[in-house]
Amino acid sequence: MAELEEKVPDAAQPKKEQRPVITRRALCVGLGGTAALLGLGAVRYAGSAPLVRPPGGQDEDALVSACIRCEKCYEVCPRGVIAPAHLEDGILNMRTPVMDFSANWCDWCTEENGGTPLCVASCPTEALKTGSTPETGALGLAELNQDLCLAYRLIGCRFCYDACEYEAMALDENNRPYVLNDQCNGCGACESVCVSLQNGSISAGATERAIVVRPLEA
Amino acid sequence: MNTKRLRTIIPLAVIGVIAVGFATHVGVGTLSAIGWQDISLLCPLGALMTMIATKTMIPRAVISVVIAIALILLFARAFCGWICPVPVVSKIRGVFSKKTSNTDMTGTGVLPADENPLVKAAKGSEAADAPAPLSADEQAALSGCGHSCSSCAEKRATFDSRHVILGGSLLSAAVFGFPVFCLICPIGLTFATIVLVMRLFAFGDVAWGVILVPTLLLAEVVFFRKWCSKFCPISALMSLVGKANRTFVPAIDNAKCRESAQGTSCEACAAVCPQGINVRHPEAGMSFSECTKCRACVEACPTRAITMPFLPKKAAPSTVIVEDDETVPAA
Ligand code: SF4
Ligand code: SF4
Ligand code: SF4
Ligand code: SF4
Ligand code: SF4
Ligand code: SF4
Repeated sequence: MAELEEKVPDAAQPKKEQRPVITRRALCVGLGGTAALLGLGAVRYAGSAPLVRPPGGQDEDALVSACIRCEKCYEVCPRGVIAPAHLEDGILNMRTPVMDFSANWCDWCTEENGGTPLCVASCPTEALKTGSTPETGALGLAELNQDLCLAYRLIGCRFCYDACEYEAMALDENNRPYVLNDQCNGCGACESVCVSLQNGSISAGATERAIVVRPLEA
Repeated sequence: MNTKRLRTIIPLAVIGVIAVGFATHVGVGTLSAIGWQDISLLCPLGALMTMIATKTMIPRAVISVVIAIALILLFARAFCGWICPVPVVSKIRGVFSKKTSNTDMTGTGVLPADENPLVKAAKGSEAADAPAPLSADEQAALSGCGHSCSSCAEKRATFDSRHVILGGSLLSAAVFGFPVFCLICPIGLTFATIVLVMRLFAFGDVAWGVILVPTLLLAEVVFFRKWCSKFCPISALMSLVGKANRTFVPAIDNAKCRESAQGTSCEACAAVCPQGINVRHPEAGMSFSECTKCRACVEACPTRAITMPFLPKKAAPSTVIVEDDETVPAA
């Protein structure tokens, strides 16, 4: 190189000024991208409804702040009850973990992992915080919609009552189930077994089951 | 099997393993947090953003950043060349346009031959019967071009748009308190697409996301053809840390190189590099911190003069010093 510079004595001169920190064009593109990111960030203030989250994810603000949407928690759940939140749940929440009790429910991994929630253990960002138990960490609260519930049509159903392992459901004098709010931890067992949607005439127009777990903050 | 095929097959295999892992609940995670069960290597950018957004030190995130830095020091941007699914996904561009590009998406690529002063110089001297000594113009071209053309200026600037966007990613995480970039990260969107499609077929989980996520991903790779070299903040992070990379840097055996051994111009290595690195004349192209260790230069060299040694060999005094241009003292 030294050789070349001797032959072209002034090659070194322009070189110095031609090594800009950044070109104007690159800076503009970069700032454009930054502006887009800042614009997108504003979805934080667009307002989003709280969702039913996996154990340890009940502090909505903390979860949304920390979660990098890595999909690990939904993968490890042995019962497959964690799903990615949909666009319908807000852009901010999209792909963050929400509970899906359509086929199964959460027992804080008692059966599969001795009570240590696998989702919490595997969340690398601590978006799901440790320390949640069935007794202390309610995921939500079951809500029974009497208009949709078969038992309230006197069809005689008590699947949800039988499914609840936390003694959070009782039967009234007509054998109709109801939720004991202070006992319910939102595990979703009741929702996972509810058959109301399978009954066409009663559920006509219904989009959800007669008993669903609602987020606590809602 | 040639490297180019291998560099498509490996990312596809990674996608396959992750998809199977997802279906079987084994806990390998995605590339955003790859690992085994509760051991994960977080994406370094995600790790930084989540810590900035929550304003807390997260042990697994700190460890991930440290390991990621170590890996980048060892391999520079090899992630881009060998593992990242985005360049493979971008091959879908072929469906939209017949034009084949001379980059592999990961880099700035080389200039078209007729605009490339290096290739011109090479052609010029090949035209002459005897390997004529290079003219002053060609010398200038080879030593880094005396003209001010924007693409050259861009190549030699210390920072480019990616670095600004990296700053913007960290800033937006700080301002809004969540990892904003994760919403549009094409790597995350690739795996989100797979997960959503798998859920669609496994559980009939129909949602707008099944359409939106892949659309966004395709838009990013189709409309932002230069995503990797102009936008990707992960690439920016790797190029910054990669400035200190000294291992597996392509090195020329001057006894074999046409240019140094025979005095003929060649530039095959420069022409083929998807990152716009000029291995023969490093000061004329992008910095070696952009090297994806793709081995294209190694394979393109007509005399097999290029190797990628684990450690740089001490250059003999009379040879062209092949070094990161950061360390070339300003004259
Ligand atoms: S605690 Fe276990 S069962 Fe419950 S959501 Fe987490 S991984 Fe699934
Ligand atoms: S494992 Fe943690 S960071 Fe990853 S998607 Fe689940 S909650 Fe978010
Ligand atoms: S009422 Fe339903 S959600 Fe509540 S604890 Fe019982 S089964 Fe779980
Ligand atoms: S399972 Fe559903 S329909 Fe049956 S009693 Fe419970 S809420 Fe009503
Ligand atoms: S620049 Fe970014 S998107 Fe492109 S290959 Fe590298 S990490 Fe992947
Ligand atoms: S210098 Fe060689 S190995 Fe590195 S990116 Fe360019 S062609 Fe690939």
